[in-house]
Amino acid sequence: MPRSAVPTPSDAAAMPWARLLPVATTAFALLLSIQPVHLAGYAALAPAFTLMTVYHWTIYRPDLLPPLILFAIGAIQDLISGETPGVTALLLLLTRPILLSVRRHFVGRPFPFVWAGFTLLTGGAMLFFWALQSLLAGQLIEFRSVIFRGVLTVSIFPVASFILGRSQRALMGVS
Amino acid sequence: MRISPAGRATMRRMTLPLLVMLSIAMIIIGKADQMVVESAANWLMDATAPTLEMLSRPAAALDVAVDRARGFVTVYEENARLKEENERLLGWQQAALKLSSENAQLRDLLKLAPGPEISYVTARVIADSGGAYARSVIIDAGRENGVARGQAAVTGNGLVGRISETGRRAARVLLITDLNSRVPVIVDGVGQRAILVGDNSERPSLRYMEEGATVRIGDKIVTSGQGGVFPPGLPVGVVAGFDSGVPRVEAYAALTRVDYLRLLDYGLANALPNPLPLAPRVSKRTEPLVGATTARR
Repeated sequence: MPRSAVPTPSDAAAMPWARLLPVATTAFALLLSIQPVHLAGYAALAPAFTLMTVYHWTIYRPDLLPPLILFAIGAIQDLISGETPGVTALLLLLTRPILLSVRRHFVGRPFPFVWAGFTLLTGGAMLFFWALQSLLAGQLIEFRSVIFRGVLTVSIFPVASFILGRSQRALMGVS
Repeated sequence: MRISPAGRATMRRMTLPLLVMLSIAMIIIGKADQMVVESAANWLMDATAPTLEMLSRPAAALDVAVDRARGFVTVYEENARLKEENERLLGWQQAALKLSSENAQLRDLLKLAPGPEISYVTARVIADSGGAYARSVIIDAGRENGVARGQAAVTGNGLVGRISETGRRAARVLLITDLNSRVPVIVDGVGQRAILVGDNSERPSLRYMEEGATVRIGDKIVTSGQGGVFPPGLPVGVVAGFDSGVPRVEAYAALTRVDYLRLLDYGLANALPNPLPLAPRVSKRTEPLVGATTARR
């Protein structure tokens, strides 16, 4: 079988509930993204935490973060944060086939590669958000905050990746 | 019904495209029919409110700790500033008392009907909108607490927004900076009416003024009460600058640091068109609504 094949459930964790780690971390990312933080302008620049977890798990364990979960998390995030429902769901769903097709370039590679890949994904995601929201609103949304948000997301990614990677290794063994 | 392995594989392959189409459908339906979205959002808000409340407490505690630490560092300057402010406020208190008694006398003279009774609900912000394109917060009070759509949300400093959706235990406040926020206002002292239009930036703009209207930096903006959506006279902010000729308002309320806010009920609760039938509301009011009293002459 080609090396880029999706790992099957049979080579999963030592602990059965470790299979929930991707979903749990993504749900936690969702809750993080709606915390009221009393910094000026934070709401517009809040890092896209869910994008980080989705990127990590789709690269390393896509079998444990299926499309249905992506859709659910995206829909919940939209509804709670007051965005047009379906936007985040659509974005997360679309990242999956893109990431699956290129994941062999990132599995087992050193972190700078993974980070670079995430930067590209974030760029695309922010552009997608901006274009879709502008279309839905009928006017061009301010682009500057989109860029800042992207930069902030990319900057925080190493921390998220470190935490996710460590917990993955601790609960699931080497992937 | 037994599905063959090939059939199962096909189903698995179709999941993603189906969900993508479902998302697009959600977007279109959401734009076309707000009611469906609202009831789903309200249900979700109610379901997650307790969790959100619990989770937001560490962040709030951290805020308090940071504030306290900052306070220790600047205690001397803060003390001097507070003394000065106190003196100024005492002067205002005297003026207010005088005006209040004058007001009472004048109203009596004119035999004016008493103004609408205000009741209010205090609530805490438990979630911020995480979206870059919506400015709203979720509070931990809902229909059960007497919250209704259209109620104005204020802090001690000024207007924050209005209630746009209510669940049973939680509600959403649309901030005045949101893209969809339109607040009828008036320039205090000048009498110039305008609409405060939000555009998701930090400072909403003043639009729809009369031709030739002049607004200056430092002009105070309050709600005008036009349209009956917001009660009149609520402080909103000051004109802080101009952006290609359009005046921008700096809100009095610290919109990014709202922790507790008050919801004012002037009996205007039904000003916003409500497509959904309201659940029977437990009234926390002890005074009669403005609609229920007739002018006493």
